[in-house]
Order: sequence, then C-alpha cells, then structure tokens
Amino acid sequence: MNTAVSFLELPARLAAWLLLAPLLPGIINRVKAWVAGRRGPPLLQLYYDLARLWRKSVVMSTLASPGFIVGPAVAWVAVAGAALLMPIGAAGGALSFRGDVLLLIYLLALARFATAWAALETGSAFEGMGAAREVSFGVLAEAALIAAVLSLSVQSGSTTLDAMLAPSAWPGAVLLASGLFAVLLAENCRVPFDDPNTHLELTMIHEAMVLDHSGPPLAVVLHGASVKLLLFAVLLSEAALPIGRLAPGAGAAALAGSVLAVTAGIGLVESFMARFAFRRVPLLLTAAFLLCLFALVLAWKGGAQ
Amino acid sequence: MTGDLLLLSLICLAAGTAVGPRLAGAWLALTLAGASAALGAAILVLYGGAAWEWRSAVSLGGEALHLRLDAVSAMFMALLGVVGGAGAVFAQGYWTDGEHPDSAPRGRLWWDAMLLSMSVVLLSSNGLHFLIAWELFAISSYFLISLERERREARAAGWLFLAASHAGTLCLFAFFAVLAGRNGTWDLGPMQGRAELAPFFWLALAGFGVKAGLFPMHVWLPSAHASAPSHVSALMSGMAINMGVYGIVRFSGWMPAPALAGWAMVGAGACGAVLGIAFALAQNDLKRLLAYCSVENVGVIFMGLGGAMLGAAHGDAPWGRLLLAGALLHVWNHGLCKSLLFLCAGSVLHATGTREMSRLGGLWRAMPWTAALFAMGSVAISGLPPLNGFVSEWLVYLGLFDAVSGRGVLGWAAMPAAVALAGAGALALASFVKAGAVVFLGAARTEAAAPAHECGALMRAPMLALGGACALLALAPAAAWPALARATGAWHPAWADPATPVPLAVLGFVNTALALCLAAAVGALWARVRVNGLRRAPTWDCGYAAPDARMQYTGGSFGRTASDWFSWILLPERVMRRPRGPFPPNTVLFERVPETVLERLVSPVAAGVMRLASGARRLQHGRVQFYIVYLVGGITVLAILALLG
Amino acid sequence: MIGSVNLLIGLAMGLNLMALGSSRLPSVIRAMAVQGVALGLLPLLMSEHFELLVALAAVGTVIIKGFVIPHLLRRAMRAANIDREVEPLVGYVPSLLLGAAGTIAAVAVTYRLPLLPEHAHTLLVPGSLATIFTGFILLICRVKAISQVCGYLILENGIYLFGLLLIRSTPFLVESGILLDLTVGVFVIGIIADRIQRAFDSLDTRKLTVLRE
Repeated sequence: MNTAVSFLELPARLAAWLLLAPLLPGIINRVKAWVAGRRGPPLLQLYYDLARLWRKSVVMSTLASPGFIVGPAVAWVAVAGAALLMPIGAAGGALSFRGDVLLLIYLLALARFATAWAALETGSAFEGMGAAREVSFGVLAEAALIAAVLSLSVQSGSTTLDAMLAPSAWPGAVLLASGLFAVLLAENCRVPFDDPNTHLELTMIHEAMVLDHSGPPLAVVLHGASVKLLLFAVLLSEAALPIGRLAPGAGAAALAGSVLAVTAGIGLVESFMARFAFRRVPLLLTAAFLLCLFALVLAWKGGAQ
Repeated sequence: MTGDLLLLSLICLAAGTAVGPRLAGAWLALTLAGASAALGAAILVLYGGAAWEWRSAVSLGGEALHLRLDAVSAMFMALLGVVGGAGAVFAQGYWTDGEHPDSAPRGRLWWDAMLLSMSVVLLSSNGLHFLIAWELFAISSYFLISLERERREARAAGWLFLAASHAGTLCLFAFFAVLAGRNGTWDLGPMQGRAELAPFFWLALAGFGVKAGLFPMHVWLPSAHASAPSHVSALMSGMAINMGVYGIVRFSGWMPAPALAGWAMVGAGACGAVLGIAFALAQNDLKRLLAYCSVENVGVIFMGLGGAMLGAAHGDAPWGRLLLAGALLHVWNHGLCKSLLFLCAGSVLHATGTREMSRLGGLWRAMPWTAALFAMGSVAISGLPPLNGFVSEWLVYLGLFDAVSGRGVLGWAAMPAAVALAGAGALALASFVKAGAVVFLGAARTEAAAPAHECGALMRAPMLALGGACALLALAPAAAWPALARATGAWHPAWADPATPVPLAVLGFVNTALALCLAAAVGALWARVRVNGLRRAPTWDCGYAAPDARMQYTGGSFGRTASDWFSWILLPERVMRRPRGPFPPNTVLFERVPETVLERLVSPVAAGVMRLASGARRLQHGRVQFYIVYLVGGITVLAILALLG
Repeated sequence: MIGSVNLLIGLAMGLNLMALGSSRLPSVIRAMAVQGVALGLLPLLMSEHFELLVALAAVGTVIIKGFVIPHLLRRAMRAANIDREVEPLVGYVPSLLLGAAGTIAAVAVTYRLPLLPEHAHTLLVPGSLATIFTGFILLICRVKAISQVCGYLILENGIYLFGLLLIRSTPFLVESGILLDLTVGVFVIGIIADRIQRAFDSLDTRKLTVLRE
C-alpha cells in the first residue's frame, strides 16, 4: 500500500508545484495594482502567457548553439527537482535523505549555471551583462543561503530538510526570516535588486538574461522562475513558522496563508520601494548574509549554554 | 599479484623512459601498460583489501629498499594511472614529432621519468629513497614545464617552479633528517605515539604545501601550469600537486601533529579556496584561469584534511571521517576534471594558437566535442549536481555541518569554512561560465578563432575517457566508498568501518535520476521547438540592427563585478587611454592581474636577500692582506669573548 | 526583564551595523539617534523599582541623545550645505563586515570573561564592546566631520552601556556620570559643529590637517 501511495504521490506533488507556481506572480501583480489603484492583469495571466508561448515558434540567434535550448530545460529540471526535495508541512519531501538540503541549494546553482550559459550563447552585450550580474550577486546570495541552512541545521542537529525546518526561538527566527526574505528577493530578481517589469536593459538582471529567448524555451524559463519563487516562499515560511508540528490540515492552511503573506509582502515591497542602484546591491546582500550569520551564531551559542 | 603489477608498471615506465626519445609508438604502448598496471595494482589494494608491503635485502645508498602500497597511497596511485595514461595518449596527437621535432622526444622521456618518480614516491617507505624520488620528480617536472625552452615565458616559469620546489625540498630534507635522527633509522612507518615529533609536522606542511600549491605558497603554480604544454599542465594539475597532498595525508596519518596544524590548514584552505578562485575569475588567460582554480580546489582539499585532523584530535569525531573522505574523493574528482579541462584547453590552443580568451569566441561550431566536454568539466568542477564535483563537496559540507552542530570550539573553524566553501563554489560557477562562454559561445572575436578545427581522435579519446570517469564517479559514488573507507582506515585505525555513514547510494540514485530527467527534458523541449518551427535570425539584443563580434560582453567585463570585491588583493593593473575629441587617436586598454603574493611579497623579499648577499660579496675581493685582517680581527674578537667568559 | 533588555541592546547592535552600512549622513544620524533612545530606556528597565532620579536621567538621555544632538547635527549639516554622501575611506561592505566580525568577536570574548552571574546572560558587555568598536570604525574610516561626530557618539553609547553594569551597586554614581557626560557631549558637539561650520565651508576633516601646525 505504501508503495502505491508513494507511486501516486510523486506525480501529485510535482503537479501541485508546477500548477500552483504561476499563481504567485499573478498575486504579486494584483497586490501592486491594488496599491496603485489600478485594475491590473488577471490573476491567471501567467497561465495564459505560458499557454500562448508554448504554441509559438522559436527564433534563435544565428550564433547560438543547441545549448541555447538545453539551458532553459536544464534550469527547469533543476528547479523542479529542488521543489520535489522541499518538504511540505508534516508530509515531508518527496525524497528525504541526509544532506538533501545541500542538493537543493546546489540544484538552484545548477539552474543559475544553465541560465547564464544560455544567456551567453547569443553573444549579446545585454545578456552578458545580465548573466554577469546574476552570477556575481549569486556569490553573496549563496553564502547567505548556506549560513541560513547551517543555522537551521545547528538548531535541529540534522542535515535532513524534513527535520531541519523546525524554527528556532524567536529572535533567531526573526533574523533568519528577514535574511531569507532578502535572499528571496535577490534570487528571484525582485525589487529592490532587480525590476521584473522594466524594459530598460541596462538595469535588469534576470530579464536581461532571457531577452533572446522565445516560444517554448521562454515559457520554460518563465515557469521555472515562478516555481523558484514558490520554492523560496515555502522555504521562508517553514523556516520561520512551526508548520511541520501542526496537524496536516492546519499545517496546510498555515503554509498556504504564509506563502500568500510572503507573496503579498513582495508585492508591497515592489509598490513602496525603488530599485537600488547596482553598486548598492552587494551592500544589501551583505546585510542579508549578516542577518543569516547572526541567526547562525545565535543558534550555535544558544544551544551551548 | 599487486607486487607483480607494480613491478610490471615500474619496468614499463623505465623502459618507456629509455625508448621514448626514439620510438613513439613503443613509448605509448609502454606508458599505457605501465599506467594501467599501476591502476590495476591500486584497485587491487583499494578493493581487494590487504596493503602490499615489500622489504628487500638490496640496499640503495646504504638503506634497504622498503616499498609499501596501502590504501592511502593507492588512492593517489589510481589517479596517477588514469591521468598519466590519458595525458600520454593526448600528447601523441597534441605534441607530435612533426610539429615539435626537437621537444617531442624529450617530452616523452621526461613524461615517463615523471610518472616513474611519482610512483616511487608513492611506494617508497624509506626517507632517503623518498627524498631521492621526490627530487627526481621535481627535476622531471622542471624539464616538462620548460619543454618549449625557446620561449622565454616557459623558461621563466620552469625556473620559478624549480626555485619554489627546492625551497620546499629544503624543508623536507630537514624534516626527514630530523625523523631519521630521532628514530635512528630512515625507515618510515606509523609513529603515532611519539609526541615529541609533533612540532616537525610544520616542516612537512611547508615542504609539501609548496608542491600542493597551498595558498599562499602557490606562487609557482599559475605560470608553471599556464606555460607548460597542455598535456603537461594536465599531469601537473591533475596529479603533481596531489603529490603534495599525498605527503600531508601520509604524514598527518603517521605522526602526531601539533594541535594548531589542523586550524592552520583549515584557515589556509578556506583563504586559498576563496582567493584562488577570485584570482581565477580575474584571469584572461584560459590556462592561468584553470591553474588558479587548482589553487581553489587544493584549498577545499586542505579544508577537509585540516578538519579531519581536528576531528581525530577531538575524540575521533565521525564528522572528521566525512571530511577526510570528502578530501580524498575531491583529490580524485579534481584530478579527473582538471585534467579534462586542461586537455580541452590544449585542444583550443592547438586549434587557435592562443590562450587569450579575449581573442577567442564561437568555437563551438568548429569544435563541438571540445565545447561539450569543456561544459561538462565546468559543471563538474563548479561542484554542481549531477556530476562528481558535487559528491565530494557534499561530503565536505556534511562534515562541516556536523562539526558546527557539535557546538564545540571547532565551530569557529567549521562555520567560516562552510561559508567559504559556499562562496568559492559560487565564484567557481562564475569563473567557468565566463571561461566556457567567452571561448566557445557567441561569435569569434578575432581572426585567431576563425581557422579552428576539432581535435583529432588521439586527442579526443583521452578527453572522452576522463569525462567518462567523471560521470562514473558521479552516477555511482557508492562504488568509491570501499576505497575511501580503506583509505580513511589506513589513515586512522578508528575510522575503518566499511559501512557508509552517509547515503552515498541515494545520492548516486538522485544523480542518475537527475541526469535522465535532464536528458528527457532537453529532448522534449527540443522536440517541441521542432514541432513549432525554428527560425534563425541575428541576435535580437533589443533591436540592434547589426550586432558586431566586438560588441559582445568580454571576459574582463563579465568577471569585473565580482573581482572588484577582491581588488584589495588582486591589485589589477590597468592602462587606459580613452577616446577623446572628434577624431580620437588610437585608444588603449590593457589589463593585467599580477600574481600578488609573488610580485608583492616574494619578489621584494628575494630582492632584499639578493642585495644583502651582493653586499656580503664585497668582503670577498681577492686581496690577501685584507683576508689576514679578517683573520686577525676574528681571532681578537674570539679572544675577547673568551676572556670575558 | 532580561528579555527586553537584551532586545534593546540587540537593537542597538543592529543599529551599529546600519550606521556602518548607510551611505547617507541623515541615516547615520538617525541610526545614532534611535540607538541613543534605545539605550536611554535601559536604566528604566534595569532598576528593580521605580526611582525618580533614574527616571529623570533616562528621560534626559533620551531627549538629548535622541533629539537634541541629532537636531544640532542636522542643523549644522543644513547650514554648512554639506553633501549628504558619507565619503568613506573604507567602503561600506568592508566596514559592515568588519563591524559584524567585531560584534561576533565581542560575543565570543564575553563568554570568556569572568562576569557576575546576573550579567552573564545579558548582552550588556558584548553590546558595549561592539558599540565601542563600531564607534572606532566610524571614526577611522569616515572622512566627514559629521560622521566622525556620529562615530564619537556611538563610541560614547558603548561606554555608557558599560557603565550600566554598575547601576545596581552605585546607581547614583552612574546617573551623575551619565548626566555629566551628556552635558559635556552637548557642549562639545555644539561648539565643534559651530566652529567648523564657521571656519570652513565644508565639514571635511581632511581640511583640518592644515591646522596641524
């Protein structure tokens, strides 16, 4: 019986991640529209976009190698794989083993590698610029992320995601949550690190990297980005709230509510903040890293007493 | 059986050294036979169980021969076989007699001499013989590095290597002499109980650290690896620096180490990992980039080793074993990936004649195999799943995480190390995206890249073999565990448990599943693109009508954001003349990242020493009268001292 | 009680880093002012029962550190038409990292100090060390006189925090010390700002080097 459940569980989980993820950008856009007093695009806009892109033909640069198509596919699989590792409340991850948290982080790094590689295929200056920024800021974001998971690991004495996502006492949890929120904004290329809406190439990171993609590969890129956003929102929620300890129903509700709150928070940040100048981005990421580092030191020292 | 294979290997390599200069075909056969015999012997020891030991009555230099191949040396012997064999095949296509009538025969001779001396170093269990083989190894490396002796750059690199190597050997002479003096014999073996020997471990660390390229003793490494012919670079980077690592592993296992040594190794390793890869990111020379990346990986290995020593010193903590296993597996992984990458770089150099990345670009068309293998090597060396670099970094991470969770004082070493490992990994990703993209993607930047051609079968086969080995270690990491378990057991008897403490089999399964999913997704997306229709057009780039090859992002600008964070140590030199006025004259932009430790620290000190020495030389001028004055003066001073008592 | 004391000190430690990381003078001043208010409230929380003198001193500290001095500084800034960039000698990210390292080191060092049991679980000592260290970084790494003044005030906050260790045993001494300190601080800063502003068009300490003879 158990095997039958797990046999069905994997596709169900994957479907949930893949189908729910494109909601998030829609929610963010609704929040932004609400703050600005506009009506805004429909909640399901990204679904329509994806469906349309999937049917379109592709224009590929004459310079690009097949890696231009391979890159988005690799990035998408990496992000989806990372999502499968992510535990959902008390249900745990689809696959859980010691050290899976590092696999999750490095899968995200693989996605970054593939996206940046594909961006450089076209030989375009703008895409090079975007890729350069992505990989450079990724250094700080990854250090912050490792510090964050290390603090969770110290807190719980485990390196398995299922056991790790039990939040700490509140000063540490607040530090960790604010650090992770900044990392979320940076990794998902949101304001104040990057502006997903702008069409000024010089100021973009992620959008600049995917300028030349079209058709199904672009759909895959956009969908992967939304899955990544959902992944980070879930990670942030479970790292800050004791969702794993609630009853399944309550846990699911709490998780959904907190993901919604995080998403709305992103929308509010985008409504009330301006994008930072690029030379200030490292400073902000360093601050995020320090928040995670202090959470780590707190967790480490807290247990020593 | 092990002994027979080793004997066969040594005989083949010796014969290869003898016939190498004249008979290329026979040389290749002998080298391959020797390398595979060495590999076979290593596998027998690693997977068969028993260590091999042989004492002979025959004495050499007054000392009886004593050879031993245990699991620790077998780890390195296995890598030696793979890299030595692959490099030899590559050399036949890359450094042919036709193109290099003068140096190719010499190259064959020294190649086998180097393999032979390295095997003897790994086998020998007698301090005197170890030193002799170590010196032969250094000399043969020197001749291989300066194979192209008509080029000034190669001569300078070789000389620097020789100088640095001898500085290290000096420490080793002192180290082995002290051991021989204290033990009463040159014979080597476990001497764990002898606490009074601990301070001399520092000598070993300095001596072997130079060879391993441990930061900040790596000064010789970038120029030597960049200027040597590429198959030599592959051997140097894939194997020769690991000999230094071997020395540290060997003697940290055999003798007591001072308590500070583990901390120092973790610290130097963490600094080396981050700074090494920061230097790599700032390079414009493809092979220098790869060389600095070796500094990074040696840093990762030393983090693991130092952590293992700390773990062993703190009650045999299980995480220490994970760190040791991770470091040893990283030796394999780095050796394989880095040789692969250097061979790819050699293939590029062979096709275009330049290592300067800013002159290349768009090579994937002409050299699809090289491009694909370089991309694979890049993913592997950046430590990304599903390839092998991830497996060893994962082990090191797990060890560090557990060390922090132990909440002991060692957290102060493990926390910064984990963060440094994360930063170094992300910087490695940036460096290799840069290297791969600037060389292989986009459009050709100059004429140099235009006449490129794919390398021949002799060059491609070893690259494929190395790539295959990387894939094997990635998809079945559990297969490496018995070897690692034996090696950690040989290092520290308390860590001999053959059961895996971490789910390596699950990781292998995940890697395999991931590789399959990647293939399926790529296939599906490609099929969808075919169905929808695919049109080729110039790069859109927000509507630039005529994108030019020179409008592409350059490697320098790609790495600039992150390398600016390290400008305090990179100290880049920039000469720029901007265009001014309506008809600007020639504009200039020249950038160079010096080897900071060498040019700002070692060279000034060396210059000071030289000045002092030349000052002292003035005392020696050949006039007898003054010599008598010295004599009288000296005696007077001595007499006064004696009188004063 | 210890919880809220630690919270306030933790806030002050966070504000240290904010002062190090911000590139605008007004935000440095704001960080310093908020820190002054947070630390000014501490004596109220720390003394076991309400004392008039303590309350007066606390209110005085809050008003002066939180409002008067920042106001003086802002006015000096406006009057002298100072550019609002901080102009660091050492960049923001390095000084931020330095400050963070100092903070962690302060926490680590405190665990080794032979403290009274009632102080061992508060952040008083590490907070004070970290704040003093931050003050020094600001004094060393910033060019403008105003940011130097801020550095000095943050340094002073650290010393004040250290003084609070004695509040149980000699409350009166501590109170009078605080008040004296504040008075001197206001005078000195008022005079400095005023003088520099009159003597030079800008408040750039680099130009003060002409006074070295």
